[in-house]
Amino acid sequence: MKYSSAKIFTMVFGALYTICFYVDISLFRYYPEVGQFHLQMTPDIGPPILWYGWLAVAALGSAAIALLVPSKLADRLWSGWVWVLPVVVVMVILVYEARLWFV
Amino acid sequence: MIVALLILHGLLAVALLGALTHQAFAVASVRSDKRSFFARFRTVNAAAYATPIVLLFTVTALAGGLLYPDYRVAVRPALEDLQLRAANGAFEIKEHLVAVGLGVLPAYWLFWRTPLAPEHSPTRRNLTWLLAFLVWWSFLTGHVLNNIKGLAQ
Repeated sequence: MKYSSAKIFTMVFGALYTICFYVDISLFRYYPEVGQFHLQMTPDIGPPILWYGWLAVAALGSAAIALLVPSKLADRLWSGWVWVLPVVVVMVILVYEARLWFV
Repeated sequence: MIVALLILHGLLAVALLGALTHQAFAVASVRSDKRSFFARFRTVNAAAYATPIVLLFTVTALAGGLLYPDYRVAVRPALEDLQLRAANGAFEIKEHLVAVGLGVLPAYWLFWRTPLAPEHSPTRRNLTWLLAFLVWWSFLTGHVLNNIKGLAQ
């Protein structure tokens, strides 16, 4: 299948994103009150937005892994993994956030 | 400016929701009377929706990302003051689900490329239903939060 690295990207992205937000691995932080990006946590300038940084790590990491995995190997993988893995990620997110916010 | 962007975000979301719902029902394995509204709702060229859905999802998420700073400064503190934990949590889930959706788009696009491979029909259907769930959650959450406290209030 042409462009089979897209399969690997999708399989990896959700898991990597979840790890990023759970462990708080953010490439950068955006502070909306002052409109500034910072690489490190910067106190006293308001709350940061980490979402952009999590997305950046997940996108870059998934793209790197997708490019590294040989296309023959990607072709051999069961195509269903591209929806099974994101569904598992969604369920993990729902359970985790529900315990944080809805209990 | 922020109100215009919020309206644009909402309109894009409506278009995305409509396209994805049409496609999701078009690929669903259900039987219906051919003359019914439901049957006609399903009778669309599902493959033709794929590229617009990828574009709409990306642009809508981008618009949401641009609105996020105003939400973080103006809306979230108000939700915390009002102790609306469920509303806050629903938004947290929304941001994660949109992220998962962005990650799903490459495979979704790959499996909807024409000519469609018949052996990948279940994968296409499940990817479409997954994206539909993510978009419906995000749309409803955004709508409810905007009702609680809009960005311009």
